[in-house]
Amino acid sequence: MTDPTLIRNFSIIAHIDHGKSTLADRVLQLTHTIEDRDMVEQVLDSMDIERERGITIKAQAVRVLYTADDGVEYTLNLIDTPGHVDFTYEVSRSLQACEGALLVVDATQGVEAQTVANAIMAMNAHLEIIPLINKIDLPSADAERVRHEIEEALAIPADEAVLASGKTGEGVRDALEAVVRLVPHPVGDPHAPLKALIFDSFFDAYRGVVALIRVVDGHINAGMKVSLMAAGTVIDVEEVGVRRPAHVPVDRLGVGEVGYLVTGLKDTSLVKVGDTVTLAKHGAVEPLPGYREVKPMVYTGLFPIDGDQYPELRDALDKLRLNDPSVIYEPESSHALGFGFRCGFLGLLHMEIIKERLEREFDLDLLATAPSVEYHVYTTNGEMISIHSPQDMPDPGTVDHIEEPYLKVTILVPPEFVGAIMELTELHRSTFVNMQYLSATTVEMHYEMPLSELIMDFFDQLKSRTRGYASLDYEVTGYRTSKLVKLDVLLAGKPVDALSFIVHKDKAFARGKMLTEKLRGIIPRQMFEVPIQAAIGGKIIARETVRAMRKDVIAKCYGGDISRKRKLLEKQKKGKKRMKQVGTIEVPQEAFMAILKVDD
Amino acid sequence: MTDPADTASLPGLAPEPVSLYVHVPFCVSKCAYCDFYSRAGGEALRKPFVDAALFEAGHWSHYDLLDDVPSLYIGGGTPTLLGEDLVRLVRGLIETARLRPHAEVTVETNPETTDAPLVAALIEAGVNRFSLGVQSFNDDVLRILGRCHDAARAREATRILRDSGAGFSIDLICGVPGQTTASWEATLEEAVRCGARHLSVYPLTVEDGTPLDASVRAGEVPAPDPDDAADMMLAAEVVLTAAGMPRYEVASYAQPGHEARHNLVYWTGGPYLGVGPHAASMLTAEQYRRVAEAEGWALPPETDPPCARARFTREATLEDYMRRPLADPGPVEFLDADEAAREDAMLGLRTTAGITAAQAEAAGAVEALVGLAGQGLVRVIETAEGESRWSTTEQGWLLGNRVFEAVWTAGDSSRS
Repeated sequence: MTDPTLIRNFSIIAHIDHGKSTLADRVLQLTHTIEDRDMVEQVLDSMDIERERGITIKAQAVRVLYTADDGVEYTLNLIDTPGHVDFTYEVSRSLQACEGALLVVDATQGVEAQTVANAIMAMNAHLEIIPLINKIDLPSADAERVRHEIEEALAIPADEAVLASGKTGEGVRDALEAVVRLVPHPVGDPHAPLKALIFDSFFDAYRGVVALIRVVDGHINAGMKVSLMAAGTVIDVEEVGVRRPAHVPVDRLGVGEVGYLVTGLKDTSLVKVGDTVTLAKHGAVEPLPGYREVKPMVYTGLFPIDGDQYPELRDALDKLRLNDPSVIYEPESSHALGFGFRCGFLGLLHMEIIKERLEREFDLDLLATAPSVEYHVYTTNGEMISIHSPQDMPDPGTVDHIEEPYLKVTILVPPEFVGAIMELTELHRSTFVNMQYLSATTVEMHYEMPLSELIMDFFDQLKSRTRGYASLDYEVTGYRTSKLVKLDVLLAGKPVDALSFIVHKDKAFARGKMLTEKLRGIIPRQMFEVPIQAAIGGKIIARETVRAMRKDVIAKCYGGDISRKRKLLEKQKKGKKRMKQVGTIEVPQEAFMAILKVDD
Repeated sequence: MTDPADTASLPGLAPEPVSLYVHVPFCVSKCAYCDFYSRAGGEALRKPFVDAALFEAGHWSHYDLLDDVPSLYIGGGTPTLLGEDLVRLVRGLIETARLRPHAEVTVETNPETTDAPLVAALIEAGVNRFSLGVQSFNDDVLRILGRCHDAARAREATRILRDSGAGFSIDLICGVPGQTTASWEATLEEAVRCGARHLSVYPLTVEDGTPLDASVRAGEVPAPDPDDAADMMLAAEVVLTAAGMPRYEVASYAQPGHEARHNLVYWTGGPYLGVGPHAASMLTAEQYRRVAEAEGWALPPETDPPCARARFTREATLEDYMRRPLADPGPVEFLDADEAAREDAMLGLRTTAGITAAQAEAAGAVEALVGLAGQGLVRVIETAEGESRWSTTEQGWLLGNRVFEAVWTAGDSSRS
């Protein structure tokens, strides 16, 4: 066990792309946790998809040993967190495991929405926040402006902000010195019954579920019988250890220590982020605060393009869920798309990532339907039904009213884009709450908005209308009654269930019209004419027609052309395979997402 | 590289006669839509090119591949840009290759380089057919296509060819942005009147990376409208059939007896040898094996069904080609017997003659053809000899890719 006074637990928090993972890399190198020759970029982001996109999806913890300027060797636990709003709860639990945080702000970008959101979370967790202005090696770096923004926007003194460059390694040592000097060491009662926080978990094919934990009180060692309080599970601790970042078993983990716990469990859903580990007998009475059940925010139907892959999709989801219990799924069947799953995700990014992982790691071709939220439908006989899919919408005659989830949305944007934000939010049924100038270059705007509008391409629109300058954060505030209707889409006169969506009554006509226009552009010409109609409760509100294809022929085909043209035909055939055959109509995948793009 | 003398004494190749194609990669200027390999200008390279091509053809003749050549086609580019050197090339080729009596000898030409003395000299040298790239008799259309001649020059060229007494074909392009049905019909009428016995009608394709592609992407030129192209293809069929030049292939029309024999080789699976930096060749497996063994090229793989053909396409720059005309075959594609049968069926359905029931069977395409027949794209016809054949319909000509794709990929499901 390590003397708690020599431990510093800290996290690095930042808006996406501000250089968090690169800084973490430099910390690992500087402390010789990883030797230079073994270094890869974004060491802690072990998934391909994390490295490709430059994002962190899974939390990570690594123990590094650092000999400070005072000559003392400190044990630093660096807890790397996802930066995206989809993972807010996970981030909050990771922060709970720390006493301090390096708040990384890009010297060229300044404070952004997630900088604020993360900083507020860190403050709520009572962390010591050390501002770090990163990327100072770039010519367009403006440390003074950023310093000012940090003070204005976050009310954090920034005159002693660390100036650093994750790229060159400059200032990284200063950052670690600041951590040692400013971050309080952990305090706990070594004699009290064990209390440890689970801040993440993953599945190991050989060892089962492994939890990442932070010991608050008492200690934990192999052979102990412990209970996971919220899950109500009792386990025998198989092993505890620390991550450097390879797993190194230790005899015990004591107050303030961060490490891993091999549970031996096979079911990840029993090991919940935010849960408290205590002794099975004579354990703590009160769990650590802040635990909640993670609830999906966004739902979508995932269907294999090749219907025969349904069993593979089920297996893949089962396996993926082992590492990410926040994904939920239940079988769904569609007349148009066959058998698939209705899946719930933490947010749009999470959804995209899971779909991509399913396709890559399990070699599946998937079609996703437009995302939807969880609606609460109150029937005339007083019942409440939660629905996750437009297809589950009960007959309008039996519906008394419908509620939908609402958000508090925070947008940070340079003042010249305030008008653009006002226009955009207007299109998305938003209510303006207030705005505030954080500095001469940043305005913070607050809105209330239905979640269903946020997932309607809002984020992409926000970025394109502000040339990428705006940043966004949100939190769910609760459910509110809205006038919602189900809009159906018919192709060649037949309703295509997978194209239905739920929309506000006042928007239904415009969206129906825009969607049919959009679909006309997306659905390729077939050998026959295809009418596209939008309907509410059987009443047609919009119609477009895809005219029959008349000409599709490679006319020139001589000696030198034959191989080339044949390859072209093979490619066309492959392209068609990526389409979904709905009745006799070939429908490209993007048609099922078209509703998200109707405001373009 | 083996000394050709070593191979000259080897036993003769399979009797399949090989047609000869020579690719002349020079043009006055590049047209906006063209993605073929050719060089604008390049005067200094023209003579050495002819030397290299003759050297290459001479090399192949040592393999007895050119002992009974049914057709010789000199294409481009713009071969007539070579002027006197083209006459030298033709003479040299005819000395090297043993042409079958009455072999078809075609030279491709464009209006700007078609002049009477050259045409006469070429006929004198043995050319009996010209293929003229007119594309349109409308100046606006020619401008959009980026052609370096106007309609008047095209008319002049047709007159020179007609007066020469040699048979000639002209190429026309339809579905050009801005082209009206009226202007297209006027072009067709003029083509009928100009004395050509063969016509090729292509709907415009915007090929990646061409100047036309760039203009379309930039919004300077509208993308070709496939419906307009369909209308114009139909108009061509009507006008040309009435003029006594019925269609015999997707894009080819001719007075009976004046079909392009060289092109029919491509559509019927016959072997051909290509000379030039970017020429394609296809040989039977036996022919190819003999060449490959002597040249040290990749040998046909041992497959089941066995390899039936090899196609190789040179991909040399003009400069590299002239330095080493025989350097390597370029990418080689081996077709096993099944693939060859499917390719023959696919290409056969480009022609009005279609394919026999046996060919359809061999290609494993019967089921696909029945499906296509259900969509009205192919049908069964009976020939004068009482033979049943699968043939493409009027609708099928317009939606040819559906037919070709279905037939070519017919074996997919059983194979994978």
